[in-house]
Amino acid sequence: MRYIYLLVAVAALMVLPMLTTGYVVYLANLLLTFTVLCLGLHLVIGECGQFSLAHAAFYGIGIYVSGLLSTHVGWPFPLSMLAAGLVAAAVGVLIGLAALRMRDIYLALATFAFGEAMQWVFLNWRSVTGGPNGLRIAPANLFGWEIITDKQAYPVVLISAVVMIALTVLIARARIGRSFRAVRESEIAAQAMGIDVKQTKLAAFGLSAFFAGVAGSMFALYSTYIHPDSLGFSTTILVLTMVVVGGLGSIGGAVGGAIVFGLISELLRQAPQYQEIFYGLILVLFMMYAPKGLFAFLGDLWGRLRHG
Amino acid sequence: MDWSLFWLFAQQGLASGIVVGSVYALLALAIVMIFKTSEVPNFAQGEVFMAAGYLALFLFVFQGQPVWLTVAVTLVVSFLAAALFRRGVLRQVALASGSPVNLVIATLGLSYILKGLVRRTGFGDTPRSFPALVGTDSIMIGQASVTRLDLAILAAAVAVMAFVFWLFAYTKVGRAMRAVGMNPKAAQLMGVNLEKIHMLVWGLSGVVSAIAALLISPKILMTADMGSIVTMAFAAAIVGGFSSLPGAVVGGFIIGIVENFVGLFISSRAIAVAPFAAIMLVLIIRPQGLFGGKFAIKKV
Repeated sequence: MRYIYLLVAVAALMVLPMLTTGYVVYLANLLLTFTVLCLGLHLVIGECGQFSLAHAAFYGIGIYVSGLLSTHVGWPFPLSMLAAGLVAAAVGVLIGLAALRMRDIYLALATFAFGEAMQWVFLNWRSVTGGPNGLRIAPANLFGWEIITDKQAYPVVLISAVVMIALTVLIARARIGRSFRAVRESEIAAQAMGIDVKQTKLAAFGLSAFFAGVAGSMFALYSTYIHPDSLGFSTTILVLTMVVVGGLGSIGGAVGGAIVFGLISELLRQAPQYQEIFYGLILVLFMMYAPKGLFAFLGDLWGRLRHG
Repeated sequence: MDWSLFWLFAQQGLASGIVVGSVYALLALAIVMIFKTSEVPNFAQGEVFMAAGYLALFLFVFQGQPVWLTVAVTLVVSFLAAALFRRGVLRQVALASGSPVNLVIATLGLSYILKGLVRRTGFGDTPRSFPALVGTDSIMIGQASVTRLDLAILAAAVAVMAFVFWLFAYTKVGRAMRAVGMNPKAAQLMGVNLEKIHMLVWGLSGVVSAIAALLISPKILMTADMGSIVTMAFAAAIVGGFSSLPGAVVGGFIIGIVENFVGLFISSRAIAVAPFAAIMLVLIIRPQGLFGGKFAIKKV
């Protein structure tokens, strides 16, 4: 039954561009990109319990790698997307290696510092990233077929997002997913069960960065320009807020949070002067009254209403 | 670079570094005292600092209040606001889940709220400077040029540090604060009111941040984003070991001096990345910092 719902949802998403305007398609592209970003953060924080505050940096690496590859080298986008994911994953594993020595707050601060340092690199490595002028991204291509508009990019973005969601579900059900959760609950107990804690953490960081890199590549498909300003700590916090609003630790929560909060933050663009206050209030109020996320909160409420 | 120029730069860097480092040290103290008692790194410390600076600016420049009233109101409001955040918000967060991650996210929320509120007032639209209350005529110490304001900042910061150490080391309430940091349950059994201590620590850290803001505001351009200076304080706290008050102070001075040296000897563009490089290096090479003890795993 659940699969029928899913098929209906995907079919509806497939025909979306035929029915609506360019703006709605652009928004759908953006939300699907956020979905993949959220899944990446979900893997490392929600599944494996490792605090990572450098997600925007991996996202940026993905954008620049795929943007540069399709602009200067002319690689077809499936290849540049894979390259973006792999380069981000390689950097993620490096960060993971450094992170093996740290926990909790120290890990949060180290990854935060890495994220800020990467933004500095994006801003100052002028010959590659264009520095503060930003980078123009040439249209992605596949053997002569060029992606120029949001509508042309949409099917590719949608398929990528669906593939990444499926991959997350597979990871969660596989041995590696169980290892993630074991490490999250207790490293010592996990070790006693024969789980290689170090490799598990490295895998979590690498996979999380891979997802962020692919998300960056999805962004590069439908965007023509990137500036380092949008790759800082506030983007990481935006993704973290989405995951938290949806519910830390569940795939549905990560996807739902990306869509619900992505829509909210797009609406808030109409009132930029309230944006920060609203973000802050959402974070604080959710932590106070709905730490398990919006959907768990609504589920509880529904249950209470039905059973008095 | 010839030797005499190098020597001049070194002296100037040291002098400027110690002055600005004393302010980083105050902010690092504010962060560490909260972390010591509740294991929460307060990501909103920079915004508490920023909001206190704007409150003082509002009272002194826009309302024309006298200095003593401006300082008194700023410190009292900072104390109450920080203590109330602990009592009203963080207590509920801890009750709802108890996970430290959630407390950290709540402080991130507070930082956004404060930034948004200050932006709403409109005072942050144009960068302003707080008028200096002490003369800014310069004095030569060796070959380094410092202002009288610089010396006043350093003196005030050192006085606040001394007060904080006295409070933690020699008073009953300070002992209670340390006890809560070591073992909350045992402290509670000894008759310590946990919530009261948490409120006091948050209030105190709010006051220390407000003092840091009052001291540094005449030297910098105030904007709603000036709270980002707190990354320097985080770097200082990490260098010092994150749970050691003397470590925070030493770390603050080290970061201030290193920042100035990087600016003078390498490039001013590199200043922006120096604290993050410092944080990563220290965490990778010596995660417990200069003053932190050995890592111990608390629970299985």
